[in-house]
Amino acid sequence: MTTEKSNMIEFRDVHKYYGDYHALRGINATIRAGEFFSLLGPSGCGKTTLLRTIAGFEDISSGAVMIDGKNMANVPANVRPTNMVFQSYAIFPHLTVEENVGFGLRRDPRSKEEKAMAVAEALEMVGLKGYGKRAAHALSGGQRQRVALARALILKPKVLLLDEPLSALDKKMREQMQVELIKLQRQVGITFILVTHDQEEALVMSDRIAVMFEGQIAQLADPETLYRRPASRKVADFIGTMNFLPAQILSDSGATVEVEAAGFGRMSLSPDQVMGSPSAEGATIGLRPETLTILFEGQAATDREVLGTVEEVVYYGDMTYYDVKLDGASSPMRLSMRNVPGRPVLDRGAKARLGWSPGAVVLFR
Amino acid sequence: MEPGSTPGRFRNSEAANGLFMVSPPAIYAVLLLAAPLIAMVLYSLMVDSKVGLSSGLTFDNYLKVWTGRIDQALMIRSLTVSAMVTLVTVLLAYPVAYFVSFHVKPEKKSMWLFLITIPFWTSYLIRVFLWKVILGYNGVINSGLMSIGIIDEPLTIINYSLGSMIMTLAHAYAAFAILPIFVSLEKIDRSFLEAGQDLGESKFRTFIRVTLPLSMPGVIAAVLIVFIPTIGDYVTPELIGGGKLPMIANRIEAIMLKQNDKALGSAIAMTAMLIVALVSIVFILLNRRFLRGQSK
Repeated sequence: MTTEKSNMIEFRDVHKYYGDYHALRGINATIRAGEFFSLLGPSGCGKTTLLRTIAGFEDISSGAVMIDGKNMANVPANVRPTNMVFQSYAIFPHLTVEENVGFGLRRDPRSKEEKAMAVAEALEMVGLKGYGKRAAHALSGGQRQRVALARALILKPKVLLLDEPLSALDKKMREQMQVELIKLQRQVGITFILVTHDQEEALVMSDRIAVMFEGQIAQLADPETLYRRPASRKVADFIGTMNFLPAQILSDSGATVEVEAAGFGRMSLSPDQVMGSPSAEGATIGLRPETLTILFEGQAATDREVLGTVEEVVYYGDMTYYDVKLDGASSPMRLSMRNVPGRPVLDRGAKARLGWSPGAVVLFR
Repeated sequence: MEPGSTPGRFRNSEAANGLFMVSPPAIYAVLLLAAPLIAMVLYSLMVDSKVGLSSGLTFDNYLKVWTGRIDQALMIRSLTVSAMVTLVTVLLAYPVAYFVSFHVKPEKKSMWLFLITIPFWTSYLIRVFLWKVILGYNGVINSGLMSIGIIDEPLTIINYSLGSMIMTLAHAYAAFAILPIFVSLEKIDRSFLEAGQDLGESKFRTFIRVTLPLSMPGVIAAVLIVFIPTIGDYVTPELIGGGKLPMIANRIEAIMLKQNDKALGSAIAMTAMLIVALVSIVFILLNRRFLRGQSK
């Protein structure tokens, strides 16, 4: 993007207590106008609470929530420029599809016919053209979700809040809706804020992601940074799979950090690969499974090479997962290989040469 | 008998099992409900004279009831009283049910329901008597007001009046109205209320557009539960109304027992039942309309 985006949501040191329970512990973050933003974390991390503070369903104990530059303190939910797609969809069962979609238009000054047009357009946008007269209870899960989307988007909110909207759908439907949501967001250009516990969903859909643990934001970054340069072991563990190995820091010049790990030997890392500040606790290096490759006969390593023994083989069809114990290391490394025609699947106990690159390593200290 | 043969299969089937299980209450219901009802229908088509019931069937009794001034007036009074009682009861019960459902902590709800039902541990007759003690000519209210000098002689408006009858009956049926409304409010997914506000409606407007329509099945159930028994109430008009404001049940009692005219009494009873049935059907149809939209 070339245009500078303004801030749509701003959290300023937001705290939330439920009695003694500290649910949000000093949230500071900004969400830009027009971006697809995700709040990602395990259940109980406060991501839904944070979303609900934007909608106005939760009061905050201290701090401020700003929407489009306005402080939302004492602004009730019904006048905030946000709309929400609820986890349960909350489609009113006593109304038809079009009554549901038009629910928020009561005080809209437009004529009845114009409102009916708007409802029809909104239904068409979510792919439910002609469903208007149906009873809400006769819809499938995916259709309910579309109604919930249409009902929220018809009001042209500044921010659309999505509370785990895909968790009730089956895998196929979920993947289809992910793509549709991305397209829809590009089409309407509204800021979308998605709450999810599914890291894959967050990576696929978001421009930026805030990873939350225990009421705090552990890392806020774009999906690639989050995946390649996780800020902590916890984030790395939550997003995808990562191999961890104890390592020793030999020297730290500021420009490069010399590290030694059993099995891999010495390597020098640049500062952007080093996470956290120096601590007395031992350092750990992390490697994603796909950054390790098995070198088959005749293949040469592009960077560095180590030897190991295959301990476990898990065949997934398109992929094979191996656990390989490096010579000199104590625990096996998980690595994944794409199954391409002509490439054999190794057996347990086989010796393997592994190619790797220090550039793919992350150091947590 | 061979296991494959039809009677053997029937004996072991689920249907046979079900019939067996349901037969004691079914026999009980037939003997004690259906049989007397059929007897009443037959009575109402006969003529009762000093000699005994006639054997020929006739609609004379019904004609007498439907054109009789007294019967018409009493039927209308019964309908009015029970309609008023129903209205008062449901209007008062709804806020109570709403409060318990929405503002009482979940762990305290069962205690609240328990407290609400406590008055119903006392017999209906005794509760009506107590209202007589409170509202009567020399009752608590009148003597209290007289002793502090607000009034000089007992108020007659609070005793032997339709108002006091309605008050007594509304109190008697309060719990029966609170419980079904409470249940229907409990069933409402709270995210509907948030959705209503999220879509720009105030809390009050959300109540009107979401909560109230979704709780209608409970309201209609409450209406039926209160309306059906109050229309045939006998005790309250006798004790609170002082016998001066009889309802249809008192009329039936008078004809059946005092005048010993079983045929005419049965015809009045059947007529009353028919009217109650018609009103109930209207409400059941209404209920179905509300329920249709809500089954998942």
